[in-house]
Amino acid sequence: MAAAHAGEARRPELRRAVTPWGSFAWGYSDVGADIFVGLGLVLAAAAGASNVAFLFAGIVYVCIGLAYTELAAAYPFAGGGSYFVLRGLGDIFGFIAGWAVLLDFTIDITLFAWSCVDYSGQLAPVLVGSVHPWIHFFAALGLIVGLCALNVVGVRESTAFNGVVSALDVVSETTILCLGFLFAFRPDLLVHNMTVSWPTPYQLMLGTSLAIISFVGLESISQAAQETYRPSSIIPRTSTALILTILIFALSYSNLALGMQPWHPILGAHGHHLQFWQIFPGNADNQGKAVALLAAQVPYWGAVAALYVPVLGAILVLISSNSGVFGSSRIAYAMSRSNLLPSLFQRVHPRFRTPVVSLVAFCGLAAITLIFAALPSLFPGAMHFYARVFHGESGLDFLADLYAFGAATSYSFVFLALIALRLVDPHSPRKFKIPLNIPIRFRSEQTSIPVLGIVGFIGIFSILVFTLMTHPIGRVAGPAWLVVGVILYFIYRKHRKLPFLHSQPHDWRQDQEEILRTSGDLELLDQYHAALKAADERKATNA
Amino acid sequence: MRSMLVLRGAFAVLYMVAGAIIIAEMALTSLHAGFKVVTGIVLGVAMIALGVHRLSLIARMRGKA
Repeated sequence: MAAAHAGEARRPELRRAVTPWGSFAWGYSDVGADIFVGLGLVLAAAAGASNVAFLFAGIVYVCIGLAYTELAAAYPFAGGGSYFVLRGLGDIFGFIAGWAVLLDFTIDITLFAWSCVDYSGQLAPVLVGSVHPWIHFFAALGLIVGLCALNVVGVRESTAFNGVVSALDVVSETTILCLGFLFAFRPDLLVHNMTVSWPTPYQLMLGTSLAIISFVGLESISQAAQETYRPSSIIPRTSTALILTILIFALSYSNLALGMQPWHPILGAHGHHLQFWQIFPGNADNQGKAVALLAAQVPYWGAVAALYVPVLGAILVLISSNSGVFGSSRIAYAMSRSNLLPSLFQRVHPRFRTPVVSLVAFCGLAAITLIFAALPSLFPGAMHFYARVFHGESGLDFLADLYAFGAATSYSFVFLALIALRLVDPHSPRKFKIPLNIPIRFRSEQTSIPVLGIVGFIGIFSILVFTLMTHPIGRVAGPAWLVVGVILYFIYRKHRKLPFLHSQPHDWRQDQEEILRTSGDLELLDQYHAALKAADERKATNA
Repeated sequence: MRSMLVLRGAFAVLYMVAGAIIIAEMALTSLHAGFKVVTGIVLGVAMIALGVHRLSLIARMRGKA
């Protein structure tokens, strides 16, 4: 595909100018924002086992991160999960994975725009959703429309801006973490809360499926790969740091939330003292700005953190929302060029040279999901309908349902693609491989099966099952999104006279050569040629 | 450049020390808490791993310089 693209009248390519720090910051500004949204939701759902929910999701996330690192370093092409699955499993599965990623990016736009307003509401009470739902709604809608307009015009936040925000956030979160554990954390309180507030298995499954949303956005690793010089060397280094950093923040915040002695006493409705985590169940306002509330409770630093963390959080989640706008349009564009979506999505604005149809289509979808999420708070009459049909889920829960479904579905396919690519494409040089591999021979070629890939698949598939079991909206709207997508895919492929279930012909060898040549990894290109030559000679000898 | 490396090195050491303290705290509590401290121990190990990773990157950069 890459080669096909390259052959098309010398179309301009992405400039490879992303440095190691830029690569880290790119991923961090996307994945790092997730904990700002996920923490409150998980604390509300999994109560005393929130840290366990984060640990389970975190282990799966480490496997996902390693899988993306291996794939992005071996195939540094911006198509991401959709491209890996297309290459490993074929067109139809590539479409399903890409379609699930599109759902995720679309929800990402709404969820993070919503969360940006929540964090801003910590300093500007006029934006608090429960008090001024219409202002909250229009603020979120304004952000979506504004980001769409900026992307149509072609204005993106620069890598340098991402780098500054990411650096500030890493320093800020590390300070909160260190001071929190030093001055406020009590292990006995953690154990006490875990003992007396252990959730039911249903709640734990719900919390675990929500915890995975704190680790979504690894597509950005592959996105950055195509704009990084010598990605096979840079990506593994930056990804390892990114994976560990995100895991540390998620585990530390969940442990702190359960085991911290609040700096200021928190009183309940009847004047009795509450534990910190107890302010989240049943309180959507608090769930939307959990990190800011936690930071404010850290001794000494909390007074300062209460002022800047909401601002930093709002900026970070806004960047993440923007990455949803940019990412959805770019993936739709890439899928369209691979004949997985109609060519309409390739249409670019004549003046700004941006994929205007994709941008408007997915921002429009994001606006529709915003309306669905906000409806019960805007019209209390709709609450009865939501209570009956969706078990009362609305707002952040509504968005988190779909986000978790899209992530679990696309990641499941990426694990399968990782294993399939090891088998069908053993010759592509892999400078980074997931640890723990079982060597095997497949079609007379020496290759290996990644054990962590299998573990990760089982983990993410179980989270997908948890999502379907515990999310009333996710189990209806998520599969419905996939079914509608597959129907549209069949109609489109029939119209273009392309095979439905089978793949169209691809020249993956030429593709890989093109990818390695443009990435500057010329030694790997030589290795690839040598491996292909040796394989061809073996085949000739056997014949 | 050199001051940035020193800063990043200090950051890495901070992570390792904090990770070690968290593990020690959790290990002391584990005598009566059992598996409930596992998340804390994993957190401490991850912090030490990140510190080691960052230090190895700095060492590699210094080697190249």
